[in-house]
Amino acid sequence: MPITITAPKPVRQLYEDQDDVMSDSDSDSQSSKDGGNNNKYKNMINMIKAESGAAATTTTRSSTKPTSHGEIVTPGEVITDDPQWMRGHGTFVAPATSAIISSVAGTISRTNKLLSVRPLRARYTPEVGDLIVGRIVEVQAKRWRVDVGATQLASLPLSAINLPGGILRKRTETDELQIRTFFAEGDLLVAEVQQLFADGGAVLHTRSLKYGKLRNGVFVAVSGMGGGGGVVRSRRQVWTMEAANGGGQIDVALGVNGFVWISKHVETPPDLLEKTAGITNIEESVSATMYSSQNDRIEAETMREIARIRGVVTALVENGLRVDEDMVMRGYHEAVEMAILSSAGPDDIYLGGERGQQLAAALTAI
Amino acid sequence: MASTTQHALLSPAELAYLHASLSLTPPIRPDGRSATQFRPLAAETGILPGTNGSARICFADGTEAIVGVKAEVERTRRGDGGREDDGGELGGGGGGGGGLGSRLEGDFVEGLEGDFVEGLEGTVFLGAMLAEALLASGEFAKKLWINRRFHWKLYLDILLISPPLSYPLPLLSLTTHLALLATRLPRLKSEGDEDPFFDDDWAAAPYLYTRTKDGKATSRPPVSLLVMAVGNNIIFDPSKEELAVADVALAVSVGEETTKTDEEVDESSSSLGRNLRLLSVRTIDPPSRLTPPGVPNATNSAYGAAATTQKQPEARAAESEAVEGVWKAPRGGAKALVMAALVQKSLVRGGVADEVLDALDAVDLVA
Repeated sequence: MPITITAPKPVRQLYEDQDDVMSDSDSDSQSSKDGGNNNKYKNMINMIKAESGAAATTTTRSSTKPTSHGEIVTPGEVITDDPQWMRGHGTFVAPATSAIISSVAGTISRTNKLLSVRPLRARYTPEVGDLIVGRIVEVQAKRWRVDVGATQLASLPLSAINLPGGILRKRTETDELQIRTFFAEGDLLVAEVQQLFADGGAVLHTRSLKYGKLRNGVFVAVSGMGGGGGVVRSRRQVWTMEAANGGGQIDVALGVNGFVWISKHVETPPDLLEKTAGITNIEESVSATMYSSQNDRIEAETMREIARIRGVVTALVENGLRVDEDMVMRGYHEAVEMAILSSAGPDDIYLGGERGQQLAAALTAI
Repeated sequence: MASTTQHALLSPAELAYLHASLSLTPPIRPDGRSATQFRPLAAETGILPGTNGSARICFADGTEAIVGVKAEVERTRRGDGGREDDGGELGGGGGGGGGLGSRLEGDFVEGLEGDFVEGLEGTVFLGAMLAEALLASGEFAKKLWINRRFHWKLYLDILLISPPLSYPLPLLSLTTHLALLATRLPRLKSEGDEDPFFDDDWAAAPYLYTRTKDGKATSRPPVSLLVMAVGNNIIFDPSKEELAVADVALAVSVGEETTKTDEEVDESSSSLGRNLRLLSVRTIDPPSRLTPPGVPNATNSAYGAAATTQKQPEARAAESEAVEGVWKAPRGGAKALVMAALVQKSLVRGGVADEVLDALDAVDLVA
């Protein structure tokens, strides 16, 4: 069947109504303040709202009481006007009022008396030390502008890359002139956030043999943090795994920004190693292939397993699961098992739609 | 020729990899689908209460389209731009309506305006492609005939909700198809050429596309499929990345022959599949032709341990022989055989178009 069309899923109830939980936590302060004229008036408004058929969740809420934990709020919605609460991320207080208002669409989370809103979808916020996968979108005189899925483009200065032919070589004007031989528009790279500007813009560097231009694989963007899905910061963002079905070794790089790169693992070709014999030159020889945009020969088996891993990553995200090394590895093994049992045999790598749901169910069941 | 101005920015290494994996037999698509497999959809109809018919389709990646169909009675202008009736083609339409249908095609479906998300260019092309497919058979215009003096005018409002993560033609076409299938027009009470007078009982309103008692449509609006070729592989419903390495991409609009009576359709569709008919073919300019070529290691001044700044070849090697693993944008036209195969594969009985229509049929219709 080349096409599957399903009826849309009913809207998922994120959380049960937790009003009683709320009343427990702040009952003492709440009850003493309730009952003024002001409050009566607000209750009336709420009743009117209820009659006019507004959503049940908003009508049951008394506006002095913060919206219960885990409930969805929209930008501009008053969460509470009770001054006992402190505002956290995703909220603001309008001048000359005490009402805490949500500035993003998301779920409310409370930590003691701190109210914050976790956005349903958010762009990546860079932090120093993050390993990210980015794409060059602009080449300037002495730096590149890199799309990292953040609100602003990150910048990669020419001074922050390893130049070929030795790390400690001095940068020359010639390097500036041929800046496109290192990275050109569209090129993908893995890098680290070195520095942050006050406005949130990031400066990247690739001064390590782990970093540099990407080739021999596929890219997948896992957009939108929050909502449970997406890449999370973890101990290891880049690893090499042994693929099933004779796929050989495969590198996976999960950028903290949600960009993922899955590629065939390649060693530096021996002829390049020979040219630069000696332990002191080891960096040189390894960095020799750093700016290549020519793919190595990749077997069909490897390509198939790369596509399978990509399918696992998208299935994880579509089903709201986190993406990290553990989940990807478990998901991959599960997917290989599923393929063996499926009618099309182990070459079946499709993991969309219902297959993805099966996979997610199998992963969460353990 | 329509163009996909919104092309994905991909690195030469990615393009080379994608092209290589799609050229294998069988092709390995990045999302693991088989060559003829479509992305899974969620679809529903009857979501807009103020319309004559509406539908919504979502992809798993969040791309979503909504189509609403509104009908309006319009006075037929007499002898206006009167083309001669194409009698042979239009025989047997309801009453004397055949002739008018042909003459008024342009009038009936002119509401294909783009209320699209800003930033998506080429909406004119998309609208024109969808309109062309609808009008191509001439059947559609006949359905809108009321009497000699009046006809229905349909407004199709197509709303693409999310920024397109892939070329949106198949999505919009499938949504339009469902919306039209769900469209109902009020039942006509008046007779002859008097001013039209309609039954205000909505339950009695007939569907624009008539159907049998068990809810099966006897005729269907066309669907436009996006088909592309890489090497000798033919791939349906390409994603944005796949389209970025296409040698050739076609929008194939397929309709169904509706010359049979209800019983015949039921018999044949169960056994042999549909009598499909090609309505229109448009080439889509694949973005692959605009991509920069990759630099082979041999000419890359930043490659190799001995890379120095001494030698200074061109930053981008101008033209070179094809090297394995290096991306090179496709040149020249498509092979005639490949083009023929593209069309053939979508039209063949029990083929992709057939199964797509089957799946669309299975969607629960609520008008």
